[in-house]
Parts: sequence; structure tokens; C-alpha cells
Amino acid sequence: MLILQNLSLGPAHGYGIAQRLEQISRSVVQVNQGSLYPALHRLQQKGWLRAEWKQSETGREAKFYSLTPAGRRQLAVEKDSWARLSGAVKLIFEEGSR
Amino acid sequence: MIPFFNWFRRASLERGLDRELQYHFDRRVADLIAAGISDVEARRRVAAELGLAHVREEVRDVWLTRWFRDFLYDLRFSARSFRRSPGFTAATLLSLALGIGATTAIYSLVDQVILHALPIRDPARLVLVDWKGNQVGSGFGSWNLMSYPICRDLQQQTRFFDGVLCRAEIDVNLAAGGDPKPVAAEIVSGSYFSVLGIGPALGRVIEEADDAAPGAGPVVVLSNDFWQAEFGGAADVIGRKLLINQHPMTIVGVAAAAFHGVDVGVVPALWIPASMYAEAIPGAEDLLHGPTFWMQVLARLRPDLTPAQAEAGLQPWFKAWIQDNMLRPGFPIISADDRRDYLASTLEVTSAPQGHSPLRRSLSQPLWLLFAATGVLLGLACLNVAGLFLARGSARGREIGTRLALGASRGRIGRQLHSLLLAVAGGVLGAAVAPLAIRGLIAFLPHDLATSALRGTLSFRLLAFAFFASIAAGILSGLAPALHAGGESLVSSLRERAGTGFGGVRLRKCIVTLQVAFSLILVIGAALFLRTLAGLEAKGPGFETSGILSFAIAPVKSGYSPADAARLVRRLHDEVRALPITTNSAAARFAFLTGGSWNNGMTIQTDRRIVTGNVNLNAVSPGFFSTLGIRILAGRDFDARDSRPPGEAGHRSVIVNEAFVKRYLTGRDPVGVHIGLGSGPDVKIDITIVGVCASFNYRGLRDDSEQAFVPIFEGEDAGATFYIRVRGAPEQAIPSIRRLVRQADPRLPILWFRTLNDQVNRSLTTERLLAALSGSFGALALLLSLIGLYGVMSFVVTRRTREIGIRLALGATGASAIRLVLRDAVVMIAVGMAIALPCVAALGKLVQSQLFGVTATDPPTIAMAAIILAVGALAAAFIPAWRASNVSPTDALRLE
Repeated sequence: MLILQNLSLGPAHGYGIAQRLEQISRSVVQVNQGSLYPALHRLQQKGWLRAEWKQSETGREAKFYSLTPAGRRQLAVEKDSWARLSGAVKLIFEEGSR
Repeated sequence: MIPFFNWFRRASLERGLDRELQYHFDRRVADLIAAGISDVEARRRVAAELGLAHVREEVRDVWLTRWFRDFLYDLRFSARSFRRSPGFTAATLLSLALGIGATTAIYSLVDQVILHALPIRDPARLVLVDWKGNQVGSGFGSWNLMSYPICRDLQQQTRFFDGVLCRAEIDVNLAAGGDPKPVAAEIVSGSYFSVLGIGPALGRVIEEADDAAPGAGPVVVLSNDFWQAEFGGAADVIGRKLLINQHPMTIVGVAAAAFHGVDVGVVPALWIPASMYAEAIPGAEDLLHGPTFWMQVLARLRPDLTPAQAEAGLQPWFKAWIQDNMLRPGFPIISADDRRDYLASTLEVTSAPQGHSPLRRSLSQPLWLLFAATGVLLGLACLNVAGLFLARGSARGREIGTRLALGASRGRIGRQLHSLLLAVAGGVLGAAVAPLAIRGLIAFLPHDLATSALRGTLSFRLLAFAFFASIAAGILSGLAPALHAGGESLVSSLRERAGTGFGGVRLRKCIVTLQVAFSLILVIGAALFLRTLAGLEAKGPGFETSGILSFAIAPVKSGYSPADAARLVRRLHDEVRALPITTNSAAARFAFLTGGSWNNGMTIQTDRRIVTGNVNLNAVSPGFFSTLGIRILAGRDFDARDSRPPGEAGHRSVIVNEAFVKRYLTGRDPVGVHIGLGSGPDVKIDITIVGVCASFNYRGLRDDSEQAFVPIFEGEDAGATFYIRVRGAPEQAIPSIRRLVRQADPRLPILWFRTLNDQVNRSLTTERLLAALSGSFGALALLLSLIGLYGVMSFVVTRRTREIGIRLALGATGASAIRLVLRDAVVMIAVGMAIALPCVAALGKLVQSQLFGVTATDPPTIAMAAIILAVGALAAAFIPAWRASNVSPTDALRLE
């Protein structure tokens, strides 16, 4: 879900995604750099990501991933279920603190 | 599906991944350097962070999924190792292909003859309705016979049936413009096609209206095959007139293409409504109203009923029905005993999705036997392959140990698809040879039957069967090596020094022992069937067969009255006798050795009245016994005194055979005794026994029945079979006989020309099939197990080379080395035989009915088979043993 959300901001390459994740979550979420690539390939195989080779900001060719319409739908589904889960967890905590 | 495609573009995927990871690597390194870390340190840290090799592996798993990737690598590994050892591959492939091919071929016949449901609507609901008990009265045809009236009355039983049909198989003379010729036909009730759910390919099928009243439907429906063969599939065939037994009938339709009647084994050319019985079956009494049984009754069961429920529900109705049936005109006058038996009859309803088939009845047991034999053969082939794998497995012991040490999972080693790959390849080969084998098999069966009814092509079912057989074979032959590989301890296999391991030898010995047992069973079976065939051939039918030609005519089917037919038969008989090529000739009303007969009970009057069981009857001309070389043991042959003028009914004299005398007239002079034809209390005892002939076979070569012969040319004759002793080769008389018949009546077809030798051969087809196939299976099995034995013995010798070398160096003789090795082999052979013999005794009951002149546990036969096997096996074991004795001690020790 994190990858999908990350890419909903715009296409990025693998290194870019890793950096963005680290920056946005203010280094709370430390993604194991190695596990990023299998995940990317799995999402691509499921048809949620599209990949193409483009010029990167350094001028070298890099593989840019972007969301497909199916990926967008999947993101919405996962956001929704996450919202429900975290809402439920929050309710439980509030119940306990009262 | 995606993993499958990814496999083919994996090179480009790899390149892409490399570039992607390289980019990440370089950017990260650059960032770290910018943060003030040294170049070398940055590279080291990034490499640790990423774990490149690990990432690559994981991404590959995503592409191909784990099991698929493993599967493909295993497949490639297997294929590569097969290429490295072509001899091994060829040996295993060949044994599997033979096993699978043979099993598939026999299964094809099993499927076609026994298992295959009719191509009709919902065949599962088709049932056969049959009479169980004493039917009394007269009938004709074979098996499950019922009368037409009972079929009509069963049609009213709508509580149980959605429809009832009856049918009989007949031969008719058909003329469509040209010369008439005999064709097979089915005479059917008007409900036939609607109950089966078969529609027309052209025109219409037979309907109820065609069968409403006698003579109502002078119409025929052609079978699709006959329409193609005879009329070239012409569309304007509808409305054409045909002559059936010289009676005009109209073609109204062609049946759907896949439908060949309800009897596997007889493919009718056409269907005729039962209302036309008088034209289709000349000389028959009133078949539509009388009690004569001549048809099979099939019904479509209501969906909510089982055959057993219908059977139980029908009994009250049937009890009333058999009472009514006794009042039917034409019902015979019967004795009190017969009456009691008759009234105790019940109705039997059995599931019949495959229709009705006398062929199935006669062939199903031999076919199941052969199927079982091929199953054993396939098992043997699998064992052989398993043995070969084990041999390789232990040769590769160290390699496997190394791979285990490097982290390969045991499952992965065992799963090494070798055997499956081989088995599927063997299956493909087997399926490729199967059609040839099937055609070879069909060639054993009687020609007319086989060519029309059975097919030598591969069906989808057959391919599916071959596939499953291959997979089963693959799993079976892979099982032992996998178990073995999985069970070995890692450390011990690595520690083991080459040349000392005995891994797998015990398992292989068990396999070879089993092989010996299996092949002994097959060899004994083959010997039994060969002896049966030889015994029957040596015995012969009890009369002279060489130099005799037979031919048959059926003039009533060409419009003759029975009296005219009798006159024609007599005229032809005289003319054939006068031919210069004839030395002797005779006529009989029914042909011999065809499996059928005219039979009836008889009543003998001596000092008391004896009613016989069924006696096989025939009408023969004077000179019949001398023509066939059958001895007259007492009294005399028929002569002119015995024949009454045509048109006058009844018989004056009879000749009975030795078996008849032995059973009913022991201890008295049979000549002069008076008997009557029939078993009822009203039978007139007015026929005198004038002679006794030696017993010979009437229906077939195993037949050993009481027989009685009356003179032909008396009163009415439907037709005749002529037996002509010819100077020189029998076939050369054919043209002059054809000319004679043509002169007598140009429109009269000759039903067949056959030499008696040929007739005897035809009656032995099942025996020949069994003997030839079980013989070849036995030989194959023997070969397979000898190869197995040879393999394991040479393996043992190679393994023990060092030990034997040391023994020889210490002074042992070559002979003692041979003994050492042979002792192993003898134990395996002896145990194998000990396993096989009780099995033979148990299986014996199953085959006994197929045997003749030997019992299934005939000691000489079993001893002979055991000796053949033992000699072969010892020879196979001797070669490696001989090699062992020639081991040079120095070479053996240097082998280390």
C-alpha cells in the first residue's frame, strides 16, 4: 500500500521510491532497500503498476514505475480497509483509556 | 500463465533487472560519497544494504513462482542427464512404450466392446428387460429373447418406463437395382428410435404408425454408413424402392451418423418395422401375436427409479401376464413340470447403457483377462525402469550426497522428474504404436465382425487412458528411487568410499524377485492358452475338414415358398453331385461350427417314456456322414427310403449320435427305438432310430452335445448349407458352383463360400487371440525380468569386485566365485516362484472356463513354465557371475 500511495504522487524509479518513503515518513518507516524490488515486480505482475525506461534527473536511463487504473482502484480499496482497521484500533484504545 | 510466458523472455527480464539494480546501486553510492563517505566504504555499505544476489533470487521467484521455476530446472536437468546416457534412456523408454502401448491397445477393445455406452440420449437410463425362468414354447435368435406381445404390453407400464422398444437382428436379401445380396438388418418396434432418442440425418426414422398393424409399414431406414457406402450419400435416396427378400419397400430416411444400432458387434445396414416380419423373416408364424420369443426388449427407465425398483414393481403385473400368455394361440401344450417352472418365471430388469451384445458376452472374459495381463506387463516395465533408476541412483550416490550437503531439499532430489518425463515420453511412443496394435488385435477376430463394428483409431478416451497409464507408470517407477534417495543418511553417503556401498541393492533384489513372480504367472498363463489352442486344433471337430468346401443359400428370402425351396435345394444337391470336380457332397439344413444350432427336447418311448433335455438337431441328406468322414457305429445312413415327397410333413427316421445313446439309451440296442420330436405330453412317437453316428462337434469345437439328425428334403426347408468334397484345392470348385446356382435362379445370392478348414479356424478365433497375445505377453515379461535380473547381478558383481578380488587372491577358485554370485540369483528366482505359484492357483478359477483339455493348475504345464523361467534366469545371472570369476586380483585391488 505504501508503494501504491507513494506512486499516486507521480511516477518514480526504485531508488526514488525508497528515498521518498524515508523522507515522507520522517525516517520512521525504514524500508529494507532489498525487499523493495521483489515487491515492485510483484505489483507489476498483478497489473497494478506500469514500468517504462525514461531519462532520470541525473540524465541516466532509469526504470520508472507508475500506477495503472487497476492500481488506483486497489489503492482506494486498501486505504479504505486501512481506515476501517485503524479506526477500530483507535476506538479500542479510547475505550481502554476512559 | 504469466510465469509460463516469463520463462521464455527471462533473458530480457534479467537484463532489465540488472540495469535497474545497477542504477539504484550507483545512485546510492553517489549519495553516500556526497555525504562524505569514502568510495570503497560506500560501495561496501550499499552492497550489504541491498543484498544483490538475494534480491535477484526473490525477483525471479516473483516472475516464475517458486514451484514452476523448480519444475523447469528439474526438467532441464533431467533432459540433460538423459542426453548424457542414451543407452539407459532407450532401454527405459522402450520398456515403458511397450507396456503402455500394449495396455492401451487392449483397453481400446475393452472400451469398445464392454464399456462404451451407446451414442443415444441419456444411455444410463436404458435397461434390458429379460425373462428369468423356463420360457417354454419356441424361439429363435440369441440371448435375452422375448416375444413381441410382451413388448407391447410393457409399453403400457408407464409407471416404470418412459418407453419400451424391442428389436431383433436378422439377415435379409437386399436388392437395390443390382443383384441381391445378404445384409444385416435390425427389425424393430415403432418405438425404437423415439425411445433411444435417435433422429434422422435425412428424411424420417421409423415411427409408431409404421408398426401399427401387420404389413402397415413397407419402409426402411438406412444406416448412415450403408447410405454412404451403397448410395454414395445421395440426397435423393428418400422415396426410392428397395427389394427386401423380393418384397418392395421404400427408403424413408437415413439414421443419425454416430448410431450403429444397439448391438456392438453387428452393424445393421437398415432398420425395418416389426410389422413387416412376414416379409423380413420368411416362413415365420404369427410373430406379432404369438408367444414366440425372438426379440430383445430394452426400455427407458423413469428417472426416479432404479432397475431393482422397477423389477420388484413389475412382478405382480408379470404374474398375471404369464397366465394370460398361456391362452395365446400358438402356446404349446406342456407337461405339469414345465407348467410349474413356467409359472415360477420372473422378470429381470438390468441396466444396459451399452445395449445388448452377444459379442460382449463371448469376448468380455477373454478381454478382461488380456487387460489384466497387460496390466501386469506394464507393472513389470515400471519395475524394470525403477530398477534401472536405482542402479543409477546408487552410482550417483556421492553426487546426490554432495547436492544434499549444498542445501538441496530431499523433496527436490526425489522429485527429479526423471521417471515422469520418461514415462510421458514412453506414453507418447506407446500411443503412437497403439493404433497399429489395435488393428493387429482386430485382425485376430472374425473378419466380418471386426471390420464393421470395431475401430482401430485413437479416441480421446483412449488418449486419456494412455496419459493416465503413463503418469501412473512414471510415479510407480520413480517411487522406489525417490524413497531410497530420501532415506539415506547424508553423512554416511559422503563418507562412503566409491566401490563399497551396497545402497539400493536390497531394494533392487526385491524388485527382481517380484518381476520373476509376475513373469512366471504370465508365462504359465501363456502355456495354458497355447495348450488349449493346440489341444483343440489337434482334436478337430470330429470330422474330416480338409478338401471340403461349403456354401449356403436361403431361397425363402428370395421369395420361394418352403416347398419350392426344398425342391430347389434337392435339385442343386443333385447337380453339385454330378459336377466332375466333386467326389462326394451332402446338404444340411443348418451350418456346423457357427456357434448356433436348431435344438429341441425329444421324447423317447422304450418300456417307459423319457423326455430329454435340449438335443441339437439338424436335417441332413443321404451321404452326409460319409462326405464328412463321420463313422456310422450302428444301423445305417439315410437313403432314398427315408425321404418323403416335398410338401408332406413329419419325419420317418432319425440318426442319433453316440453321446445321445450314452445319455438316454445305455444298455439297449438303440436301432429301432421310437422317438418323437418335442417334449410335451401330446408328442407323437412316430420316428424310428435307424442309425448311430460317432459324436462330433456341432456348434463349436468345445461342444460335446447329444445330437439327432433327420433327413433333409422332407417337406419344408428354408435353406441349406452344402458340403462338397472336392478333388484338389476346394477353392477351384467355386466358379462351377456359382454357375450352377445362377442357372437355377439368377437372383438367388450365395450367402458364403468357405472351406471347412477355414470354418474351423473361425470357430477358434477367441482361443487364438488368447494364445497369441498371452504368448507374446509372456515372452515380453520374461525378457523384461531377465534384463532386470541381469542388471542387478552385474551391478552386484561390480560392487563386489574388490571383495571377490581379495577372495581370489586368498586362494578361492573361479568356480567358488561363480557359486557366490549365483547363490544370490537362485534365492531371488526361488522366492519369486514361491510367490507366483499360490497366485496361479488363486487365478486359476478365473481362467478355467477359457481352457480346454488342461486344468489351470496342470502340473506339467507349470513345471515347464518354471523350468523355462529358471533356465533363462540362471543364464542371465551366469554372465555376470562368469565375469566375477575372471576378476584379476591385482586389477580389483587397484580399482580403489
